[in-house]
Amino acid sequence: MDYQIMLTELLKGLLVSVEIFVLTLVFSLPLGLIIALGRMSGNCIIRNIFRVYISIMRGTPLMLQLLVCFFGPYYIFNVHLSSEYRFIAVILAFSLNYAAYFAEIYRGGIESIAVGQYEAARVLGYSQGQTFFKIIMPQVVKRIIPAITNEVITLVKDTSLAFSLSVLEMFTIAKQISSAHTTMIPFVVAGVFYYIFNFVVAFGMGRLEKRLNYYR
Amino acid sequence: MPEKVLTINKLSKSFGALPVLKEISLEVEKGEVVGIIGPSGSGKSTLLRCATMLETMDSGTLTYGDLTVCLEGCYADKPVLRAARNRFGLVFQNFNLFPHYSVLKNITDAPLCVQKRDRDEVMQLAHSLLAKMGLSGRENAYPCQLSGGQQQRVSIVRALMMKPEILFFDEPTSALDPELTGEILKVIRQLAEEDMTMVIVTHEINFAHDVADRIIFMADGLIVEEGLAHDLVNAPSNDRTRAFLSNIMK
Repeated sequence: MDYQIMLTELLKGLLVSVEIFVLTLVFSLPLGLIIALGRMSGNCIIRNIFRVYISIMRGTPLMLQLLVCFFGPYYIFNVHLSSEYRFIAVILAFSLNYAAYFAEIYRGGIESIAVGQYEAARVLGYSQGQTFFKIIMPQVVKRIIPAITNEVITLVKDTSLAFSLSVLEMFTIAKQISSAHTTMIPFVVAGVFYYIFNFVVAFGMGRLEKRLNYYR
Repeated sequence: MPEKVLTINKLSKSFGALPVLKEISLEVEKGEVVGIIGPSGSGKSTLLRCATMLETMDSGTLTYGDLTVCLEGCYADKPVLRAARNRFGLVFQNFNLFPHYSVLKNITDAPLCVQKRDRDEVMQLAHSLLAKMGLSGRENAYPCQLSGGQQQRVSIVRALMMKPEILFFDEPTSALDPELTGEILKVIRQLAEEDMTMVIVTHEINFAHDVADRIIFMADGLIVEEGLAHDLVNAPSNDRTRAFLSNIMK
């Protein structure tokens, strides 16, 4: 086995893993906020719709959700999609799934802010939007960073689930090389790469947490 | 005739089946300082919260000068409510400063972003008010770095920055050590000397006696007695007032 080629292939796979990781965060972080707001809506129908959504997303395996996102359009709607849809299905499933988890984290953060903050803002004439984005959210972000870090680290490892749709991310490639050459080494190397990836993520989140530590 | 800043007429409010305010009427004239005293649960805070629109009243009328916020239980349209919010300031018992904003941002953000006033004017006023409250040099501190007394002074400055016509205080010293209470009372006294119109809910009877022109004694959602500060404290005519005062003077 040529180690040079193996490393290059794994690094190419890592790039795809990073791509899944970044795109998932880009979509699921804002989506999670919308779901959290829906979950806290004063309207009981809207609130229950989002409650059920979160319940399903958290209560079923992500791998199953991946398969549903990929095969669903064909089996349910009889739509034929191009092979590029494979990657889109991965991002779709990951984003929908992680948004549910993020939504609950946001909700916990938002509900932990003292009612006095809303009242002070109201008396000072801030609009609802200003109150939420200027007064409440910055405090929420600081409080939820540790919980978000947990999810983000899980996401790094979960990208390997794209294997179930044969997307050529790092784990899929490691598995292919391993089978072809009957060796454990690609798995060990992939493991090291995942660890480094997470080390960097944890470091970055730690820095962010420190930066937000300018007040108690 | 002196100008009326605040008029409350027959305000009633219940929480569920529990009536907390029963047809309360109150007028505050420009430059007047009104103290509200009474036992816990008498409705003093709820009255203040209704007046500052943090709580909706069930019936009655609430007017700020020419702005009718609520006419016999019917609230006015949003622009009127917004305009009315500009007329008053509220100082909370727990300060409720924004912890992620520096002192300067806490006091200037609403004048700049809500009232959209001129930046230079706002900054100038901010620095002069901070200096007046003995907070010069703390502009860049965060609330968590300040003592309770300092935080409450910042929150008074924050309210004053909005240039309110009337300032409400909801037990402004209740969350403070006795040691720090004095500095807040001094500030409020200073404002009274400058003819700031104020309504103060307080447990500090001596202070109310000193600073208020008029004192209102509330119990069970009613104004039991109302009179000149000196008269009400020294010669209460109502038995409940007498009992309350003798209890806390002990």
